[in-house]
Amino acid sequence: MARIATVLTAAVLCACIGGKGTTASAPPPPTLNTLMLTVDSGPAAATGQINHGYVTVKVCAPGSQTQCANVDHVLLDTGSVGLRLVRSVLAAGGVTLNAQTDGQGLAIEECVSFGGGQTWGPVALADVTLAGESAAKLPIQILDDTGAGAAAPAACVATGPLINGVSGFGANGVLGLGVFAQDCGSACVNASTPLPLYYGCTTAGTCTAENAALAVQVANPVAMFAADNTGVIINLPTLQNANGDASVQGELIFGIETQADNALPATGLVVLGTDANGDFTATFNGSATVLPALIDSGTDSYALNINDPAIPVCTTGNLMFLGGYYCPTVAPLSVYAVNTGVGVNNASSRVDFAIADPSATFVTTASAFIDLAGGPGSTNFTWGMPFFYGRKIYVGIEQRTAGAYTGPYYAY
Amino acid sequence: MIHRSLVRVLAFAAMSALWGGPACAGLGSDAAGVVADGDELHGALNSTSLPQYDIEEITTDTGMRVREYLGRDGVVFAVSWSGPVLPDLRRLLGTHYVEYTAALAALTRPGLHRSVRIASSELVVESGGHLRAYAGRAYLPARVPAGISTADLR
Repeated sequence: MARIATVLTAAVLCACIGGKGTTASAPPPPTLNTLMLTVDSGPAAATGQINHGYVTVKVCAPGSQTQCANVDHVLLDTGSVGLRLVRSVLAAGGVTLNAQTDGQGLAIEECVSFGGGQTWGPVALADVTLAGESAAKLPIQILDDTGAGAAAPAACVATGPLINGVSGFGANGVLGLGVFAQDCGSACVNASTPLPLYYGCTTAGTCTAENAALAVQVANPVAMFAADNTGVIINLPTLQNANGDASVQGELIFGIETQADNALPATGLVVLGTDANGDFTATFNGSATVLPALIDSGTDSYALNINDPAIPVCTTGNLMFLGGYYCPTVAPLSVYAVNTGVGVNNASSRVDFAIADPSATFVTTASAFIDLAGGPGSTNFTWGMPFFYGRKIYVGIEQRTAGAYTGPYYAY
Repeated sequence: MIHRSLVRVLAFAAMSALWGGPACAGLGSDAAGVVADGDELHGALNSTSLPQYDIEEITTDTGMRVREYLGRDGVVFAVSWSGPVLPDLRRLLGTHYVEYTAALAALTRPGLHRSVRIASSELVVESGGHLRAYAGRAYLPARVPAGISTADLR
């Protein structure tokens, strides 16, 4: 009897608490706006990745509660915009998404260059959930690794090889959370000669480049959230080992200055506005050359062209680090760069960093590496993943205001 | 620098018409190939003459800019590009496109690349950028005129 009484008492207490919680004066519970971000060796089908930050994305067919998949190992990329998922991975998760059609009833497909190759595949709508945030009917790109849609047109494959599969990306997809709301923007809306980016494809598979309205373009999911839509914060810890950490966990926070956990710091924030391409500027080691620059979680290293005999491209050592990284003759080598914002958010900031010799010291079983530099031949200065370790990085979306700052900007 | 664009455009157009169209184009081709490239890109062609080579610049209203470096031997020894998308590299690299894609396929570096560099004694290709802003260049090291820095080929 005593036992039942206790249960009853507890039930009454709970009821009382519940009743209090529903009074008008209590604030609503905050939306869960934090997603786990993990740096590890990549999806099972493409292990051996380095400095790749991954999140898990829930994607559902529009309006469906059942045709949903949690896609793991989606690469977080602050240097592009839009969600792109590999078709075979979606299919394995039981999700089928159909291409959007244009005004003529043609399937809308897209060709996007990622330096070493092209993605190709249809633009489809999906309901996307990231932590407690959701974007309904979000235009995403399906990376057509199974060739279910039209074949890539000649103009697309003429810019390089297709990298639609899991192995091409080292990921099951890409979550592009850069500074813009759409991937192409106004340049694809009214061009007299449409850019070879969006295509209309007949059922026979003939594809012709065409313009795409902003609402049709592959979009930044965060910009489409009902709240917490001013940008994102990426928060990764400092690495523990100079020769590489096996894996690292941090967080991706949605919104800037919208909740207690994403408030802007009172002082010390460096805010770098970007131009219409998404670049601020940087100079390296006192050089007069002003480079377009970005803070890019999709790049595994500090990526820039260096013409310095003391910082040659690696030619011997661990095979994993021979393709386009630098091996300073004396390492770690102290260097610096000066970042300057464009437009209203025109802060200037010197960043001192180091370049390690990966071929001599890095452990190939690890997946997170500090002080890794690469990118010979690049015309940009790309602050890749090494810059994220031990920093909070803010990415402000165009035309969205957080505190005193309006996007597009990167900040740290 | 001497600008003499109109005359050259007309001359090249005449040659191109005479030769019956764009049989070859881009890196390793000749002046007629440059004109064919301009037509293909729907661009305006402008020429700048330097002592050792000419720069044939093609610009389009979509913001694409392609430069072809034409040596005194009549061969395009370098090309460069910038714009909101990558240009038709198969056309710009000409017969060297196959070497480029083969070298890309052989890259051991895993994952997403924002920039790539392919280099051999015959061919150097550097290509990079991100959505809305791509840039790169390719050149034939053996055909770069003596005394010219490859840093000038942008």
